[in-house]
Amino acid sequence: MIARLTDGLPPRALALLAAFAVVMAVAPFFASDYVLSVLIISLYFAFVGQAWNLMLGFAGQLSLGHALFVGIGAYTSAALFTHFGVSPWAGVIAAVALSTLMGCVIGYLGFRFSIRGVYFALLTIAFAEFTGIMVDNSAWLGGSAGLFLPVKNAGSIDFLNLRGPPILFYYLILILTGGALVLCRFLLNSKLGLYWQAIRDDQEAAEAAGVPLFRYKMIAVAISSALTGIAGVWYAFYYNNLFPESTFATGRSVELILGTVVGGVGTLFGPILGALILTPLGELLTELTSGLQIDGIKTFFWGFCVVAIVLFRPSGVWPWLAGLLKLDGRSANGGGR
Amino acid sequence: MTDKNIKMAAASAVGGVTRRTVVAGIGAAGIVAGTSPFSIVRAAGGPLKVGVLLPRSGVQAGIGQDCQRGVEVAAPILKELGLPELQIMNGDTESNEQTARAQAEKLIGDGAQLLVGAFDSGQSAAIAQVAEQKGIPFVINIAAAPQITEQGYKYVFRNFPTAVTILTDAFKQQLEIFKQVGSAPKSVVFLHVNDTFGSAMAGGIGKVMPKFDMPYKVAETIAYDRAARDLSVEIAKAKATGGDALLVVSRLNDAILLTRELVKQRWTPEAILSMGPGWYEDQYFKTLGKLSDGPISFVPWYDPKKKLSETLKAAMKKAYPDVNMNTNHVYTFEALLVAADAYKRAGTGNSKELTEAVRSTNITDNVSIGEGIRFNAKGQNDTVGDASIQNVGGELVVVAPEKAAVAKAVWPMPPYDKR
Repeated sequence: MIARLTDGLPPRALALLAAFAVVMAVAPFFASDYVLSVLIISLYFAFVGQAWNLMLGFAGQLSLGHALFVGIGAYTSAALFTHFGVSPWAGVIAAVALSTLMGCVIGYLGFRFSIRGVYFALLTIAFAEFTGIMVDNSAWLGGSAGLFLPVKNAGSIDFLNLRGPPILFYYLILILTGGALVLCRFLLNSKLGLYWQAIRDDQEAAEAAGVPLFRYKMIAVAISSALTGIAGVWYAFYYNNLFPESTFATGRSVELILGTVVGGVGTLFGPILGALILTPLGELLTELTSGLQIDGIKTFFWGFCVVAIVLFRPSGVWPWLAGLLKLDGRSANGGGR
Repeated sequence: MTDKNIKMAAASAVGGVTRRTVVAGIGAAGIVAGTSPFSIVRAAGGPLKVGVLLPRSGVQAGIGQDCQRGVEVAAPILKELGLPELQIMNGDTESNEQTARAQAEKLIGDGAQLLVGAFDSGQSAAIAQVAEQKGIPFVINIAAAPQITEQGYKYVFRNFPTAVTILTDAFKQQLEIFKQVGSAPKSVVFLHVNDTFGSAMAGGIGKVMPKFDMPYKVAETIAYDRAARDLSVEIAKAKATGGDALLVVSRLNDAILLTRELVKQRWTPEAILSMGPGWYEDQYFKTLGKLSDGPISFVPWYDPKKKLSETLKAAMKKAYPDVNMNTNHVYTFEALLVAADAYKRAGTGNSKELTEAVRSTNITDNVSIGEGIRFNAKGQNDTVGDASIQNVGGELVVVAPEKAAVAKAVWPMPPYDKR
């Protein structure tokens, strides 16, 4: 299995990946609390971006409502914990089941009735919106007043209930991001991955070649929504409060995918790189513009930078960087995977 | 009061939050300790570094920037009160919980000894966690979700009424006004914007209202679209019910549309009782001129009879002549007042001692409605409350509660066609 994962990767890529993993593993021992919090947010976006990338980058299905799956995962685990004291380790099972189910419902409607492209994206947005409204009107889930998790013993680690300091959540999201990277690499190198890419590149041709479109697109949606549901569980226990207005917002969905777009849609390392560019970039700009005393100026420059990146690196930063570092491996198409 | 806060009010009223008894403050400790030479000497070590976190960009930018006005005018007033200087460190939450959390970490990393903010409940809750983990006192300026001070935090304080208080006071004060003017509507039409905010409010009102012996019945509930460009049908329908007054939950744009429609259809209800934003905002006055007179809004507000209110109002008038002093300014200023007062009494920026000083706050010379500023064991000031403010001649006049009222309510509203 390991051979399959590393197959085609040049030694230089493996060495860099190992070095990156080591840096990320020891980072909390050197980083300030603030830097740690920035790293945590970056990794969260990297993980969710990876899950989203699986759906669009690998299987060619555009979702603009992935906040839905984060929300379902978050609310399911948080409600089970708050109302019944269910550990998030058990809650994650229900969270994944529900978010996968929702993903499958959307997938079924979209793929059975041949809703494609932007129309499929609209379908995902619609589901996110109406789920948000349902939660907004559910007293059991806190309604618009929010669902709050108890935060006692914030300083000590209660691993069973995921209560503890940021470092606990850092390592958890680091493991999740690493796991998602390995999983995606594995899937992409399997028959499933080849089918997805065939569907992504030319759906009609794939169908003519005998690829069962419906089945493989459903699998992509299911895995993507399941992974995003897990991210939701992490999110709920890290932030300890959930509000439907922000959790399910379309803007939040866009936020989740931006790192992947900047890093490189369809590449394995793109979502990670994109997240590690955008979040720290935002913080750097905050620092640089704080002296200007102009409200919103940072957001303006941040938007400007994103536009510049997209203009100069339309395929994402990772394919370019991978080429520069000669990490392309055997596949020109998957440059820098 | 912001729509977000009212929204919190509506939804959380459903939960029926139980508030604990107030923990007695340490008497006049604030004044005594604050004026003792020892305290002054210790506090004179330098200004207290206060991290002010507000949504100054993003969807809540306007509100965050409005809150910031309360920060801008604070320094000379605090100095006049003999309180130590504060070094303000601004942080923009960008209307986002993730940024709010990261910015809190950053400000603390940069040396902030106390945090203030963040208007929005979600952002405030995110900051509260960081404050708790770092043991840094956090004084919430505005955020009404009761759960924030029910989560068991030791370093989180809030001098803003909870959602439950806001709604409860609204009905309590309606009864007070009816008694004051010797009249009450027999039936009202409940008009509300049909979005999550309006629906949550409708739900909250439905839960709270039965707890009061209101003299009126709700003749009809009419929900309307937030993006509606024309509310003529809704007003015609409301008029046809024969209701005496309007109970409304709206926002600024629809408040203006509703008023214009009332004028057009020549119907002046006895009263417009608002439990949402819109009707008391500057833009409402500017757009409608004399037609803006009459509506009564139920909001956390300042007590015009308090001396410090006059001081703050004068400072606001000087700095921002075109802006009416409002909730955002009042509660943001008071959060800084709490910080400065605590620093003076603690005599140190040491987080533990500073937190204890905040906990023992007992400010009676304050601005907002209520007995003053003091915090219960959970960090909530449960003596703070709402006011009923009526638009009279382009001004916002407090008509209830009695202790803060400066005028009787104009009842019924002056007819639109005779202004």
